[in-house]
Amino acid sequence: MPDSGYPWPIETTRLDNGLRVVVSEDRTAPAVAVNLWYDVGSRHEPAGQTGFAHLFEHLMFEGSINVAKTEHMKLIQGSGGSLNATTNPDRTNYFETVPAEHLELALWLEADRMGGLVPALTQETLDNQRDVVKNERRQRYENVPYGDAWLRLLPLLYPPGHPYHHATIGSMADLNAADLATFQEFHAEYYVPNNAVLTVVGDASAAEVFALADKYFGAIPARADIPAAPDGRSVAATGRAAVETVTTDVPAPRVYVAHRTHPFGTPGYDVTTVLAAVLGSGRGSRLYQRLADGERIAQPDTVGAYGVDLAHAPAPLIVTATARPGVTAERLAAGVAEVVDELATVPVTHAELDRAKALLSTAWWRQMSTVDGRADTLGRYATQFGDPAKAAERLPAWLAVTAEQIAETAAEVLGAVDRVTLTYVPEEGL
Amino acid sequence: MTLIATRPGTGAARPYRFPTVVRREVAGGRVVAAHLPGQNLAVAVLLLDAGAGREPVGKEGLAGVLAKALEEGTAQRDATAFALAVEGLGTELVTGLDWDSFQVSVQVPVDRLGAAVELLAEAVRTPRLEPDDVRRVRDDEANALRMDWANPGPRADAVLRADLFGRDNRWGRPMHGDPESVAALDVEDVTIFHSEWFIRPGTLVVAGDLDRLDLAALGAAAFAGTGGGPVDRDAPIEVPPRAGRRIILVDRPGSVQSTLRLGHPSPHRAHPDHVPMTLAGTVLGGAFTSRLNHLIREVHGYTYGIRGDFASSRRFGRFAVASGVQTAVTAPALVEAVGEITRTQLTGVTEDELAVARSWRAGQLSVELQSPRAIASALTTLVVHDLPDDYHARLRESLLAADVAQVSAAAAAHLHPESLTLVVEGDAALIRDDLVAAGLGEVTDQSE
Repeated sequence: MPDSGYPWPIETTRLDNGLRVVVSEDRTAPAVAVNLWYDVGSRHEPAGQTGFAHLFEHLMFEGSINVAKTEHMKLIQGSGGSLNATTNPDRTNYFETVPAEHLELALWLEADRMGGLVPALTQETLDNQRDVVKNERRQRYENVPYGDAWLRLLPLLYPPGHPYHHATIGSMADLNAADLATFQEFHAEYYVPNNAVLTVVGDASAAEVFALADKYFGAIPARADIPAAPDGRSVAATGRAAVETVTTDVPAPRVYVAHRTHPFGTPGYDVTTVLAAVLGSGRGSRLYQRLADGERIAQPDTVGAYGVDLAHAPAPLIVTATARPGVTAERLAAGVAEVVDELATVPVTHAELDRAKALLSTAWWRQMSTVDGRADTLGRYATQFGDPAKAAERLPAWLAVTAEQIAETAAEVLGAVDRVTLTYVPEEGL
Repeated sequence: MTLIATRPGTGAARPYRFPTVVRREVAGGRVVAAHLPGQNLAVAVLLLDAGAGREPVGKEGLAGVLAKALEEGTAQRDATAFALAVEGLGTELVTGLDWDSFQVSVQVPVDRLGAAVELLAEAVRTPRLEPDDVRRVRDDEANALRMDWANPGPRADAVLRADLFGRDNRWGRPMHGDPESVAALDVEDVTIFHSEWFIRPGTLVVAGDLDRLDLAALGAAAFAGTGGGPVDRDAPIEVPPRAGRRIILVDRPGSVQSTLRLGHPSPHRAHPDHVPMTLAGTVLGGAFTSRLNHLIREVHGYTYGIRGDFASSRRFGRFAVASGVQTAVTAPALVEAVGEITRTQLTGVTEDELAVARSWRAGQLSVELQSPRAIASALTTLVVHDLPDDYHARLRESLLAADVAQVSAAAAAHLHPESLTLVVEGDAALIRDDLVAAGLGEVTDQSE
C-alpha cells in the first residue's frame, strides 16, 4: 500500500483575481473532471433566509449571460458528460465529467455562470426553481418515514445562531419569502473568483488547464469584502442531554444518538472517523455484534454510525438503530447508549482496529478510483485547508489512530450529558 | 465585458478505449477479466444463473434470503469470525439480484483480492444454513421489506408490474418479493435453492490491474468444489399491450406527494431495436434534459424529477415513467406526461434532441466506465447477454450512427400511450375526483 493517499501529481496556481486552480493529470481514461468549490454554504444564511444557498445552486443551472436557459445541461449532456451540484452547511460544489475534448466547453460554462449569472436571473426562473426545491423537500424529507431526522437533529446539536443550527434544505416559509434581489446580491457576494477553487483531474495537462482558466476566468473581478459566516468553532455545552421523541407514522421505533465531536480535518476528527467505523460499519462492528446479532433487538440492516464531514465547527457523529418487532424504543435506546458508552471503558482490540482501518482504506481508494472523486477531494482540501496536497495525509492519519486515542476521544466527546437522543415511535392503531 | 461570449469548439477527439478483456476457462468455470493498469482497487464478482427469474412463483424473495444467510457462518467459521475475516480485508460481501443473475462481489486493494475471493467462495459454496439462522434471516428480511414498503414507491411498482405481466407469472411479481412472500418461505426452500443454483460454477468477473492478479488462482478459488453445468434459459416472452388505458389508485392517506408509475410491456434485451429504442427513451425521459423532465419539472414545477426509460432483461422488457408530484397537481401532471408520451410516439424525435441523446449515451461509455466497480458491471453485461469483447466499442458506434428516422420509428413502434397503466400512490380522498375528471382512463382502486 502506498504511504500517501494521493499518489498522483498535483499542480496549483492562483490567478490574479484570486481564483485557485488545481490540476492533477492522469491519462488513464479519455475523460476529464471539472469541479468548482465555492466557499459558501447554509452556514452563511442569516435567520429568515434558510435554504437560500441551496436554492441558489438550482439557479446556477438556469442560464447565464451567454448561456440560454436549459442550455447548460444540454451542452454537457450533449458532449457525453455527467454533471451535478450539491450544497451542504459548509460549501457548494459544481462538477461535470466530460470526454476530454470538451474540457474547454466545461470551463467556458463554469466561467459564464461565475461571472455572468445575474443579468440572466429572472423572477420566473426563481419562482420555478423555488417550486422545484419545495418538491425536493417534500420528496426527501416530508413524504418518507424518518425523513426529517436530520432536520430535527441539527437544532438539538447546535444552538440558535450557530451556523449549523438549521438544515441546508431550509424552511418552506423562508423559501416562500425568497426574493430576486436577495439572490442577485448573494451571487455578487459569494460567487467570485477569490471565493472559489477550480479543480481539473484527468486527461489534461496543468499548463493547458492554467492557460484555459486564465482565458475564461481571468477577467472576472475579485471582491474584497466577502461576508464571513458566523464563527461556530466553540459550542457551549448545555450540561444536560437533549431528548426528543416523535410519535408519527413510522413502521418501527428508531433511535438516533448524536454528539458534537471535532471539526473535519483535525486529529480529533480522524480519531472520530475510525471510532465510527469500529462502532457502526459492517457486521463486525460493535453495534451489529451487540444489538443486531447478540441481543437481537435491532434490525440488522439498520444499525450504523457515521461522522458528517463538516469542517467549520465540531462535526456530528450520528449513531442509529431500528427496533426489531416487539422491542420498545426505550429498550433500543438503552442498548445503543450502552454500546456508545463502552467506547470509553472497553478497550478497542487490535482486530477491531484493523477491521475499521481496512474498511476505511477501501473507502478511500474507492473515492480515488474516479477522476471526479479525486477532483472533489482536491477541491475540498484546497478550499478548507489551503492546500490540495493535504488530501494525501488523510488516509495515513486514519491508519495511525490508536485504541488509546479512541478511548480518550470517546471519554471526551461522547459523554451522556453532551448526548442528543432522537426517538421515533409508531402511532398507535395504524 | 469580462467574459468570452463565444462558445468554444470541441478539441481533438481521443480514441475510445474499453479495457482489454481477458477470458479464461479455469477449474470448470469461466473467468472474464478487464485489465486496469495502475489501479489500486480491484473488484471480483461471482455471477450465478440464480436471478429472480429462477425463483418459483410464490417464493419471491428466496434468493434475497439466501444471500443474507450466506453470511451466517460457513463450514469453516461462524458468522462473527466470517464477518471479521472479510471486513479485516477491507470489504463486505455485496450481493445483487436482477431477473437474469445473482451476483456476489468483493472490492479490495488489489493485493487482497485473492484472499477476498477465497472468502467469497467459502460463503457461496459452503454456507452452514442452520435452520434457526435461516428462519431468523427470513424474519429479518421480511421486516426489512416492511420498512421499505412503508416508503412511497414499492407498492406502486408492484401494482404496475402485476398489471403489466400478471400475478400468475414470476415476472408479474416484485423482483425482491414482498413482506408476505418472504415471511412465508421455509428453511427447505432456501436449502433447495442453494443446492440447485449455488454450486454450479458460474462466471467470475474480475476488474483490476491484471499484472498484479493471478486469474488462474482466482478462478480455482471461486470454482473449487463446484459441479453441474449451465441450465437452458427459457425463450423471451411476448406480452401484448393491454386494450385501453387505465388508472390504478393506491391509497396513501396524508401523503404530500403522489407517486406516479406509468408503464407498458416492451421488447426483451436482444431485440434488434435495442439501440434506437434506448435513444427514443433517452429523448423522452432518460436524461435531465429529456422532454418529460423539461415539461413536468422545469416548465410546470410539479416535481423534483421525472424519469422514463425502456428496461429489458433476457426474457422481457417494459417502458416505465416514475415521478413524485405535489398532491394538488396529480391530475394535470398525468395529463401532461401522457400527452408527451403520445406526442413522441406520433411525431418522433428531432435531430437536435437526438444529437444530445446519442452523444450523451456514447460519451457516458467513457465518462462512467472508470472505477473497477463500473468496469465489472460492464463485464457482467457481456456475460449475461452473451456479448463479444468489443461490445462497448460497437455500441458506441451504433449509438453515434442512429438517425432520426430509425429512432422515430422505434418510438412509433414501441411506445403505446393508449395502452399505458397509470399507477398513482397518493391520498386517494384528495385526488380521486380529479383523476376521474381527467378522462385518461377508467379509475380503479387497488384493494389491499
